[in-house]
Amino acid sequence: MILSLAWKNIWRNKKRSLIIIVATALGLWGSLLSGAIWMGWGESMVDTAINRDLAHIQIHKPGYAQNKEIINYIPDGFRILEETKNLPGVKAVSGRTLVEGMAASPTSTFGVKIVGIVPAQAKTVTDIYKRLIEGEYFTGSGGRNPVVIGRKLADRLGLKLHSKIVLSFQDLDGSLNYAAGKIVGIYKTESGLFDQSNVFMRQADLFRLLNTKPLIHEIAIRAESARIMPQVYAAVKANYPQLAVHTWKELAPEVAYTSTAMEAFTYIFIGIILFALLFGITNTMLMAVIERFRELGVLIAVGMKKGRIFSMILLETILLSITGGVAGIVIGGLSIAYFAHTGIDLSLLASSLETFGVSTTLRPFLPLDMYIALPIMIVITASLSAILPAWKVVHIQPSEAIRMY
Amino acid sequence: MPLIELHDLSKTYNTAAVPVQAVKNVSLQIEKQEFTAIVGPSGSGKTTLLNLIGGLDKPTGGSIFVEGKDIATLKANDLIDFRLHHIGFVFQAYNLIPVFTAKENVEFIMLLQGVSRAKREQRALELLESVGLGDKVNSFPPQLSGGQQQRVAVARALASRPSFVLADEPTANLDSHTAGALLDMMAQLNREYGMTFIFSTHDPRVIKRARRVVTLEDGAVKSDVRQNEGKRET
Ligand SMILES: Nc1ncnc2c1ncn2[C@@H]1O[C@H](COP(=O)(O)OP(=O)(O)OP(=O)(O)O)[C@@H](O)[C@H]1O
Ligand SMILES: [Mg+2]
Repeated sequence: MILSLAWKNIWRNKKRSLIIIVATALGLWGSLLSGAIWMGWGESMVDTAINRDLAHIQIHKPGYAQNKEIINYIPDGFRILEETKNLPGVKAVSGRTLVEGMAASPTSTFGVKIVGIVPAQAKTVTDIYKRLIEGEYFTGSGGRNPVVIGRKLADRLGLKLHSKIVLSFQDLDGSLNYAAGKIVGIYKTESGLFDQSNVFMRQADLFRLLNTKPLIHEIAIRAESARIMPQVYAAVKANYPQLAVHTWKELAPEVAYTSTAMEAFTYIFIGIILFALLFGITNTMLMAVIERFRELGVLIAVGMKKGRIFSMILLETILLSITGGVAGIVIGGLSIAYFAHTGIDLSLLASSLETFGVSTTLRPFLPLDMYIALPIMIVITASLSAILPAWKVVHIQPSEAIRMY
Repeated sequence: MPLIELHDLSKTYNTAAVPVQAVKNVSLQIEKQEFTAIVGPSGSGKTTLLNLIGGLDKPTGGSIFVEGKDIATLKANDLIDFRLHHIGFVFQAYNLIPVFTAKENVEFIMLLQGVSRAKREQRALELLESVGLGDKVNSFPPQLSGGQQQRVAVARALASRPSFVLADEPTANLDSHTAGALLDMMAQLNREYGMTFIFSTHDPRVIKRARRVVTLEDGAVKSDVRQNEGKRET
């Protein structure tokens, strides 16, 4: 009955209540959608980084990160590669042979990382093969030493598809080797930096050029899902205590940080909106109780205790705010779902976005916990807004209030 | 033991520039089942006296005993509880919650008392029936006439099973015919259920229906007479 009274009281001044409900709804809708866009952005950064090169987990020889020399390969790498492939929760693995070197054309040279891969294996972990804009991903016989390079590097070196590229690098003995490759494919990812510094070759070709037995420096592991990643990580770490095992978050802390920061921004933004709404709600409720001063005085006179009358005003404020809040969350959720489905095309901004490594189609999303946290935040806001009006009501002197006519 | 006992009761308002002594040394006893009118010119202290008896105001002197209890000593929340369980109120206006039906208005006070839903509903219907509004139980106050609204207020005042009902100018906003009808109804409830009523009024036609008339002048009791003993006014 108290609940129904609170609900009915809200609709005594329809216009005034609707204004605050619509304001709440619009405020939340706006902040949810923009939050979802930021978080979609963050997520997209994470996804593209994972799909491009990071994968979920990587294994190296300890010290490789500090000293990327060819000699720092993973001891017994191929056995470990096979073993990790069969761990539960692992979707795919890819062994990479990494060599720091130079790429040269007749006109210029550039420092690059030469990545030796088994194409069929690499395809299961990263999606470079989907990013080819010219040529193909090691499909044809391709002649000797087929090479796939990024668009940016091709531009810098002034090379085209099927051009010859000269790679130079130190072999295991430390002597400088030169090798000519043929560009069979040119890829383009969202990251210009990645595109200009990663050159892909077949592992077999690289071993021949290095004149070495097969060796790998990096094992990239893809878990079946992001959720299961921590378990896989723990298992791999436990299995190979002698090796350096890292998640993508450790490998690219800036990407992980941006993604978390987006979530924090969203909460801050919603917090600001709610803070502004707090004043509107307080004002609405103050007007509502002042209008009903005599009636409330009568209720106190006939026996409604302070605690009860306080809760009645509190309940009324919460209902008012949560009505707008639910409306905002529903339209927010629906528009997020809509844009998540269609994607927001950012291609107009594409060239500047490349620097950030974000895909040009943004899919806004909001984590589930936000849909839980939000109603709680609204109820807290409403409770804060209710304090002043409820305090006024509790201090009504019934004899005075009733005398006011 | 009298239902209500006032000893040397005084109330002085110090809010204005000059202190106003609204009630002066009033001593009065009211027994169960009395039907008492408090009368007097405007400003004579009727409302102040009723507010003191009803525990809506604190006296500045003297004491008020209701059923042997000194209500001036009760703490704020205990006083509200005391009002809820012992006193029925009817005010001149703004008695009812406009968004509740007549029935819900009557039920509400029982909800505050913690009466179960089924009992509340049943009693609300009975009371509305006995104030002659059996056909208006689902009407909202704005759909009712002034007289009908005051009847709902009387039903609400009775709903909590109080020791007595205080009504400050219950007929002030009514035409005299309607006022007479409301008073007749109250008199009937007084006779049939033995409910004690204390009401204030200006209206001579209302005064006629009382069985005890206490007249105030400048806050003091000027006269206290009994009338209509044993006879029925039409
Ligand atoms: N809150 C107050 N502050 C100061 N003076 C007050 C207050 N309430 C009442 N008074 C004064 O006390 C005196 C008695 O007022 P009260 O309202 O009790 O009279 P009343 O008999 O009910 O009058 P009416 O017939 O007009 O309702 C008046 O002089 C009034 O001005
Ligand atoms: Mg008065």
